[in-house]
Amino acid sequence: MNENPPLKVTDLRKDFPGRKGIGTVHAVSQISFEVRPGEIVGFIGHNGAGKTTTIKCALGLLKPSGGRVSLWGLPPASAAARKRIGYVPENPDYERTFTPMEYMTMFASMRGLDGDEKDWTALLERVGLKGWERTAIRQFSKGMQQRMSLALALQSKPELLVMDEPTGGLDPVARKEFRDIILEENRRGAGIFLSSHILSEVETVCHRAVMLSRGMLIAQGSMDELLGSERTFRLTAENDSGDSVELEVPESALQAKIDKAREKGLKITRVEQKMKTLEEVYIAVSGGGKA
Amino acid sequence: MRTVFTFSLMTLRMLFRRRTLWGILLVILLGLGGIASVPTFDVSNQGRFILDFGLFGIEVGALLLALGLAASLYPRDRETKTIMPLLAVPLSRGQYLMGRFFGAALVQAAALLVSCLGLMLILLFNGLPIPGNLLPATLLILVEGWFLLSTVFFFSFFASPPLNWPLTTMLFIVSQMSVAEFIGLMPSSPGLMRTLRLLLPHADVFHIKDPIAHGFEIEPLYFVVAVFYGLCYSAFMLSLALAVFRGRDLK
Amino acid sequence: MRASLLFAAALLAISGCVEDYDVAEVAPGEHLDEEHHHEEGDYCEECHDDHDHDHAHADEEGVHHSGDATPSGHSHDAGVRNHGTQWFFNQPWAARFIWGKLARDGAMFLLLAGIIFFLSGRRRRR
Repeated sequence: MNENPPLKVTDLRKDFPGRKGIGTVHAVSQISFEVRPGEIVGFIGHNGAGKTTTIKCALGLLKPSGGRVSLWGLPPASAAARKRIGYVPENPDYERTFTPMEYMTMFASMRGLDGDEKDWTALLERVGLKGWERTAIRQFSKGMQQRMSLALALQSKPELLVMDEPTGGLDPVARKEFRDIILEENRRGAGIFLSSHILSEVETVCHRAVMLSRGMLIAQGSMDELLGSERTFRLTAENDSGDSVELEVPESALQAKIDKAREKGLKITRVEQKMKTLEEVYIAVSGGGKA
Repeated sequence: MRTVFTFSLMTLRMLFRRRTLWGILLVILLGLGGIASVPTFDVSNQGRFILDFGLFGIEVGALLLALGLAASLYPRDRETKTIMPLLAVPLSRGQYLMGRFFGAALVQAAALLVSCLGLMLILLFNGLPIPGNLLPATLLILVEGWFLLSTVFFFSFFASPPLNWPLTTMLFIVSQMSVAEFIGLMPSSPGLMRTLRLLLPHADVFHIKDPIAHGFEIEPLYFVVAVFYGLCYSAFMLSLALAVFRGRDLK
Repeated sequence: MRASLLFAAALLAISGCVEDYDVAEVAPGEHLDEEHHHEEGDYCEECHDDHDHDHAHADEEGVHHSGDATPSGHSHDAGVRNHGTQWFFNQPWAARFIWGKLARDGAMFLLLAGIIFFLSGRRRRR
C-alpha cells in the first residue's frame, strides 16, 4: 500500500444527533479504504448509505467523530491538500447573479492559477457550455450547473477529482460526455473518486469500487474481484415431452452439468454466457440495500 | 491575501447586485431628507438639529446596513450550498469569513459615505456651514458599523437571521448605556450586571455628534484612539466568529 | 471543554482589566470641576449664544448661564461643565484620562483575538 495515497480513510466514523436531539445517528461506521494514484474508484451505495458524509469528511467539510482521513498524508482542511483536488458536489448551486466566466476568473485568482479568459472559454466549451460563458447562472438548468461545477473542478488540473453523484439528473448524452471527460482526466494521470448510484456507469468507468450500506463498508475490490473472474453460463435443457429447465452454472462446472443432463436423456437446447452486474452484486451483498 | 482580496471583491459584487443594499440606502437618504424638512423655530438651532439627528440617522443606518448585508450571508450560503464548492477547494474557513467581512465592510463604507455626502448636501441646501469634523465623525460611525458587522457575523454562525436582528440590536442598544443604566436593568444583581457591562463594548466612544453639533473641537488623537479601540474589538468579535465557524459541520 | 474553560478565563481576565468607562464614576476631581476651554479665536456656539436663546436652550437641556439672575433659579457660564451639562462632558471625547485605558483595552482585545484564532485553528486541525 502506498504510504501517502491521494485519499486514505482509516476507521472513519461520523455520528450526528438524532431527531430532535434524541439519541445518535451513526451515519458512517468504521470504514477504511484508499484511492491510489491514477486509479478510478467508484463509491457506491443506496440513498442514505453515507457516501456524501464520507466525501464531506474527506474534504474537511465535516469533522469525523472517529478515525482518520488524509489527503497525501495531510489533513483534509490543509491548504496544500486542497490545492491538489477538484470537487464536483452533489446538486451544486452557485450565486445566481454571476456568470460562469466570472466564477472561472475568480476561482482562478483565488487558487493562484495562470490562465486567461481564452483558457476558461476553452474549458467551458469542453464541458458543453459553449456560448453560455457570460450568461447569468439564474438561467441555467440543473444539468448546466453540474457542467459548470465540472469546469471549476478541472480548472486547476487536479491530481484527485472527487465527484459526488456528478451525473445524477443528466440525460444519457450528457452522462456519456461526463464519462469521456473522466476517462480523459484519468489518462492525464488524475485519480478519480466517484460516488454514484448509477452502478452501470461505475462498472464501465472504474478500476475499483467501494460499497457502502447503512453507513458500513460491505465490500471493496477491483471489478474482477467484485464481479467474479469466473464466468457464469445459463444452460437450457429439454426433455422428450418438451418441458425445459434452466440452470445457472459456473464455467468450471459447465461441462460436468452438460454431461449429466445428457445421461438423463435431456437435450441441451441453449448455452449462453450470463453477465453478472455490479447491481446484482451490490443487492446480494447489501441484502436489499435499504437505508 | 490575494485569495481574501478576490473573495472580498466577489462579495462586494454580489451585494451590489442584490436589492437589500439599495433598499437600506434609500431608507437612510429618505430619513436624512425627512430630518431636513422638519420645521424649526430658529435658524441657529436648525444646524445643530440637522447635525445631531442626521448623525444619529447615519448611525442607525450603519446598524441597518450591518444587519441587512451580513445577517443572511452565511445562512443563505449554507442553505443553498453555494458554500460547498468554495470551502472544499479554494478557501479556508478563515479566508471565507474575512472575504465576506471585507466585502460587506467596503459596501457599508460606501453607503455611509454616500449618507454623509447626503447630509452635507442638506446642510448646504439650508445655507448652513459644514463642520470640519463631519467626515471624521462619519469615520467613527463606520468603525462602529464594522464592529456591528463583526457581531452580526458572529451571531450568524449559530442564529438564524430572524434571531440575529434582535440580538444585534439589543447589543447595539446596551452598548450605548452607561454602567449605571445597565445595572438598573436588573438591580437585584449589580455585580453580575457590572461585569457583563464591562465585557460589552462602549459605543459612546464612537459618538461625537454632540460636540460637532455644538461646535466643539476634538483632538485628532482621540480619533486615533477611538478607531484603534473599535478595530481591535471588531477583530475580537471576528476571532470569536471564526472559532464558532471552525467548529461547525457543513451538512 | 478545555477551550471553553480558557475562554471563560479570558472573559474573567477582561473584566479584571477593563475599567469602567462611565466618566461620571471614574473621573478625577479636577475633571469634574474643569471649565469649558477652547482655543482663542475658535468659534464656539455655546459662548456666543445670545441671552434669549440661552434661556430657550436652558429650558430644553437644563443649561443655565451665569450673570442671569432669574426668579426661577441660578445660572452658569456658557459652555461650562455643571450639573446641567455633565451629560455633555461625561463622554469619552471630553475625558482625556480614559484614552490611555481605551488604547490598552484595544490592545488586549487584539491579543485575545490572536489567541482565540490560534487555539481554534489547532482544534480544527487535530
